[in-house]
Amino acid sequence: MWLWFSKLGSPKWFYELSGRWLPWLVIPMALLLIVGIVWALLFVPPDYQQGNTIRIMYIHVPFASISLAFFPLMAVAGTITLVWRMKLADMVAKQAAPLGAWFTALALASGSIWGSDIWGTWWIWDGRLTSMLLQFFLLIGVISLRSALEDTDAAAKACAVLSIVGCINVFVIKFSVDWWNTLHQPAGDFSLSDEAANPPEVWVPLVIMIVAIYLFFAVSLILSTRNEILQRERRAQWVQELVEGH
Amino acid sequence: MNQQATTGQAFRATLKRDLIIAYKRKNDLVNPFMFFLIVATLFPIGISPGPDRLGEIAAGVLWISALLASLLAMDNLYRSDYEDGSLEQLLLSPHPLYFLVLAKNISHWLVSGLPVVLVSPLIAYMLNLPDAAYAALFITLLLGTPVLSLLGSIGVALTVGLGSRGLILAVITLPLSVPVLIAGTLTVQETLNGASLGGYLAIMGAMLLAALTLAPLASSAALRISVN
Repeated sequence: MWLWFSKLGSPKWFYELSGRWLPWLVIPMALLLIVGIVWALLFVPPDYQQGNTIRIMYIHVPFASISLAFFPLMAVAGTITLVWRMKLADMVAKQAAPLGAWFTALALASGSIWGSDIWGTWWIWDGRLTSMLLQFFLLIGVISLRSALEDTDAAAKACAVLSIVGCINVFVIKFSVDWWNTLHQPAGDFSLSDEAANPPEVWVPLVIMIVAIYLFFAVSLILSTRNEILQRERRAQWVQELVEGH
Repeated sequence: MNQQATTGQAFRATLKRDLIIAYKRKNDLVNPFMFFLIVATLFPIGISPGPDRLGEIAAGVLWISALLASLLAMDNLYRSDYEDGSLEQLLLSPHPLYFLVLAKNISHWLVSGLPVVLVSPLIAYMLNLPDAAYAALFITLLLGTPVLSLLGSIGVALTVGLGSRGLILAVITLPLSVPVLIAGTLTVQETLNGASLGGYLAIMGAMLLAALTLAPLASSAALRISVN
């Protein structure tokens, strides 16, 4: 197990392995995305209350659910950076921050468009919206801290500390803003167990879209981590061989 | 040969040293306090001088002003120590950094946070805060401003080595402070609605205890990273 762990820390090993993984992620992602989007946008029956607007759900819910994963991900990567000094973990953390900001922004934007129709307003200071907005600000803070620190090693550790603190805080923020003011429907509205309220033709495409967006997230993170590896290891022999070989 | 100082002595010495330095630099002492007064003054001018509306927003105005004043004062916490090298000595000391950082945080709150808390009833009166809310406002500020200092300390420790850190400090620290702001203003609001203070104060007390135990750990880790 420890051999595997120390191997994973080697950027070269990860680069080669992820290169082999990528097709197995990209192909299912493309298939699921196409099936999910076509099904959700064209074939799902309109909701009895929300009409065609319900189709925004198939974009919004996947993005919103995955954007909650970024801070825990960055905190775990940060802990690995601080404890085991694993360079790869920091590369993942570095690339996860801007990606997380984009996903959070997309969740906010799609939710806002949905809300403009259902709630009659683009923005409301509701618990979930506010906590997502604050998570967005925290991610921007991590990104700007990283760009302000010139020394890569110091930036890695400083961002690791900030991600861990931020991770705790994201939960506190979520808890406190829910307590503060809420309008957003609970996620339970789309619970899979409640089959009477949500027939399969509604939730199956949602599940497909969620899996597709998760794969999309994995592919984006792997691709940008691979770029980061090439950039940071540009003086290593294997990178130079790779670049010259093509 | 001198006897080795205990951690308690080191804690007290750091606290005393920081208080003396703060007393000698009266500008740093007065500026956050004046900043608090001025920001609180901007709200009636910017929003509305009408007593009814002011009374509604008074608690929020005071909390936001206190938050901004604490942010402004934060920069003094480690910067001069970083510049004159005494921060490195602090990191080299054999005592747990946790207690030394805690001592610095406490002294910093005593000179920048406490004056703001003490003057808050006066500003609250000028902003026409309803009578029933005074106690809640005072106690929540008393419990909440130390949390703001402790959280801000993490941000300052992370950015102490940077040339231009003013804005980045705000971007990092302000979102972290939101739970305190919510708890504080919500407590005041709910007291006005007739809720009992106990439960809300327990939450704020829990925040303070959590910040006291955890935040200095993060601050010390951040200081060790910033000072290589």
